[in-house]
Amino acid sequence: MSNDSENMPLTATRGDRALENTPGLGADRLALCAALLPVWGRHLATSRTQSEAAVAEMMSAFSEIGPHLDQAARQSKQITTALAQDASGIMNLAQACAQELQPLLAQSPVAVAATLQKVMGMIEKSVDDLERLSRPFEHETQMVGQQVERMYVGFQYQDRISQMMTLLHDDMARLEALLSNSMHSADDLTQEAWLARLESRYVMQEQHQRHTGQPASGDDAIDNTMDTTFF
Amino acid sequence: MAQTILVIDDSASLRQVVAIALQGAGYEVLQAGDGLAALALLDGRKIGMAVCDVNMPRMNGIEFVKAAKALPAYRFLPILMLTTESQESKKDEGRAAGAKAWMVKPFSPSSLLNAVSKLCLP
Repeated sequence: MSNDSENMPLTATRGDRALENTPGLGADRLALCAALLPVWGRHLATSRTQSEAAVAEMMSAFSEIGPHLDQAARQSKQITTALAQDASGIMNLAQACAQELQPLLAQSPVAVAATLQKVMGMIEKSVDDLERLSRPFEHETQMVGQQVERMYVGFQYQDRISQMMTLLHDDMARLEALLSNSMHSADDLTQEAWLARLESRYVMQEQHQRHTGQPASGDDAIDNTMDTTFF
Repeated sequence: MAQTILVIDDSASLRQVVAIALQGAGYEVLQAGDGLAALALLDGRKIGMAVCDVNMPRMNGIEFVKAAKALPAYRFLPILMLTTESQESKKDEGRAAGAKAWMVKPFSPSSLLNAVSKLCLP
């Protein structure tokens, strides 16, 4: 047996008619909803618990890696400083040695001068090699740091998902209570009141957008607009 | 001696994210799962600032700010609200309660550390 009101989903389009008086919602369908809602609720709760556990596990691993990344960044900076062209840098030291030795080269026997030139050349090459090696290391460290920053942001989406799931879970439990007649408060048993109560509990912009069927701004990509207001 | 920051959030993973960011920058971190648990930690110990969620069970973030400001020893404790809450009215509530700043999650560690460096008491 079927009619229009039976096929109509429980949305805000049906005005403020009381759910408990919905015509045509037969006992078999009520029983089906009452049986399904707790099953959906348990799946939702499990999904939330597992996603929280997964993020907690990742965070635990991340907290182990963090100090090593910090150390690598520090060492990279130290190497760059050690190689820098300032007074204490290795490159400056090599140049200073070359300048000091230059007058001696002119006075030295040819063989000695040649040997000194050769040694100086070796030192310069070593310093150049070190500088060449350190440059990509510094770049890699910066790149890892930027990706770590993105990971921090990504991890926080679990918190948003968890809040959305909790809200849905709680609302499903209310509907389940209504269907099993254990909820007697008549205040919000109209569709308008029910939906208004649900919407009043939203904290995120995308929840409000989804409620009214608008595309949610956070659907396609992580929104990196970090907003800080100082009072 | 490192400054201590009290992190209050009912999400353990979120507390961990904040703690890792702060500890990486050299701060000591105390954690609480809601406002009531956080209040219990305001027992005279020196705290540089608090980073507090808004929507939490038992005692929410706005209630915590009011309760903390009522304690003479913590009247000037700077509190940064870190929340998914995007409504201006909630932000106004936070300001009226005595919070010093409002940051919307998700946050980047650099923006958090920037705010903390501006607010944290020595």
